[in-house]
Amino acid sequence: MTVAAPARTVWTPFSRYRHSLWLLTSRDLKVRYSTSALGYFWSILDPLVMAGIYWFVFTVVFDRGVGHEPYIVFLLTGLLPWMWFNGAVSDTTRAFLKEQKLIRSTKIPRTIWVLRLVLSKGIEFIASLPVIAIFAIIAGATLRWGVLYSLLAIVMQTVLITGIGLIVAPLVVFFRDLERAVKLVLRFLFYASPIIYNLQDLGPFKTLAAFNPLSGIFELYRASFFVNPIDWFAVVVSALMSVIILGVGILVFRRSISTVLKGI
Amino acid sequence: MTETASVSGGAMTTDPVIHVDNLGISFNRNRRQRRSFKDLLSSGARRKRPDQFWALRDVSFDVGRGEAIGVVGRNGQGKSTLLKLVAQVMLPDEGSVTVSAGVAPLIEITGGFVDDLTVRDNVYLTAGLHGMKRAEIDARFDEIIDFAEIGDFLDTPYKHLSSGMRVRIAFSVISRLEEPILIVDEVLAVGDRGFREKCYRRIEELLAGGRTLFFVSHSEKDLRRFCTRGLYLDKGRLVLDAPIEEVIDRYNSDYAVE
Repeated sequence: MTVAAPARTVWTPFSRYRHSLWLLTSRDLKVRYSTSALGYFWSILDPLVMAGIYWFVFTVVFDRGVGHEPYIVFLLTGLLPWMWFNGAVSDTTRAFLKEQKLIRSTKIPRTIWVLRLVLSKGIEFIASLPVIAIFAIIAGATLRWGVLYSLLAIVMQTVLITGIGLIVAPLVVFFRDLERAVKLVLRFLFYASPIIYNLQDLGPFKTLAAFNPLSGIFELYRASFFVNPIDWFAVVVSALMSVIILGVGILVFRRSISTVLKGI
Repeated sequence: MTETASVSGGAMTTDPVIHVDNLGISFNRNRRQRRSFKDLLSSGARRKRPDQFWALRDVSFDVGRGEAIGVVGRNGQGKSTLLKLVAQVMLPDEGSVTVSAGVAPLIEITGGFVDDLTVRDNVYLTAGLHGMKRAEIDARFDEIIDFAEIGDFLDTPYKHLSSGMRVRIAFSVISRLEEPILIVDEVLAVGDRGFREKCYRRIEELLAGGRTLFFVSHSEKDLRRFCTRGLYLDKGRLVLDAPIEEVIDRYNSDYAVE
């Protein structure tokens, strides 16, 4: 048997990064969908059940004065991106801990451990979009040109989640309590963000709420179906916040990574 | 962080493939100790607190292409840490490690394998993460499976394999990466004797093919079998860098078994 070293593929750092990122992301999705019978259906079932509950509570039980008609479509345009945010951020608390054996044995750029979670949850989000389309058709909501703003929203949300992940993932390794704290903050954020209501419904708190970067992002998503003047103040604040959070994230990650590798 | 892009294949180079310069890494003596945010975010050498100790310090050496290095020392003297630093899965607090060729790390080799995926998927995943393209894996797939002797279990989820089989397939994948540098921790202690011998023969083949070996073992026999040069680590320092016989003799005289 000859084992003379044959020429192997030469990678540029970027192509190597993309290759590894994609391998891990597709692994995540493969594991998720191969280990459960319902597979893909689970990722839409969760927002569907939530949407069903809120729809019932706010249109049947209470006399609702928030949001837009049709309310179910209004809910879903907030809930589905929320699921992405919520899923990715809570997964990043375990980004290093769950994969410690792999991290201890493979040398790939460390940011991949966070980015793959943002990406795989993002892909699930995209895959769940047909649900909105179905309900929009049933409830008679019309798609508007504003749907193009969703692209901007997706970019902003990716930046935001990546930034948060780069902060949370390394810190959890040292402060395990942070995992629970993040869960609590996420629950609070769900009600503090314009998901079941509209940013306009907040009245005097509107300006304060704009500093929640999700507010501006959801404003953009909602322009897909609803003629509601977009609150550009919220959008600009949200874009700035997202970029700042990403900057902080990169800084925290870079500073702490060598300690993280010792700690896991 | 210093790492240079792969220059594998350049046979004319006389530069070292591994260049370790004043390497130092410190750990917390007490893992459970609370850390402050400030502590965490201050970088490297400036941070030095009494509860920290240097697992390795002032370690410098060069490894040339095709050398076979054995790392010797008692438990807890920094051998595995050195291996991880050379494999660049850990980052130094002081100094630098420059590795100018691809590395196949036989460290925690089963770590990349996912329980719920089949053996086939796992092979593609692990080899892929170590930088192999799909076509390259395709070309070596049969060889990998033959070597691990687990042809009947290709579509079995990894979690259903016996621990011996898991190590076999993992070794088989990593040892087929065809990277110029091979890093071997004491992973081969598991597995039956027959397979261990097979692994050792594979390592010898790789050495004959001009690979560079970085090897940690407590077995004198293994060290003598593979290595030509030894690094003797004691209390986090590189005490001796010499031919392997000399290093083993020194180690034995320092810690003579009564």
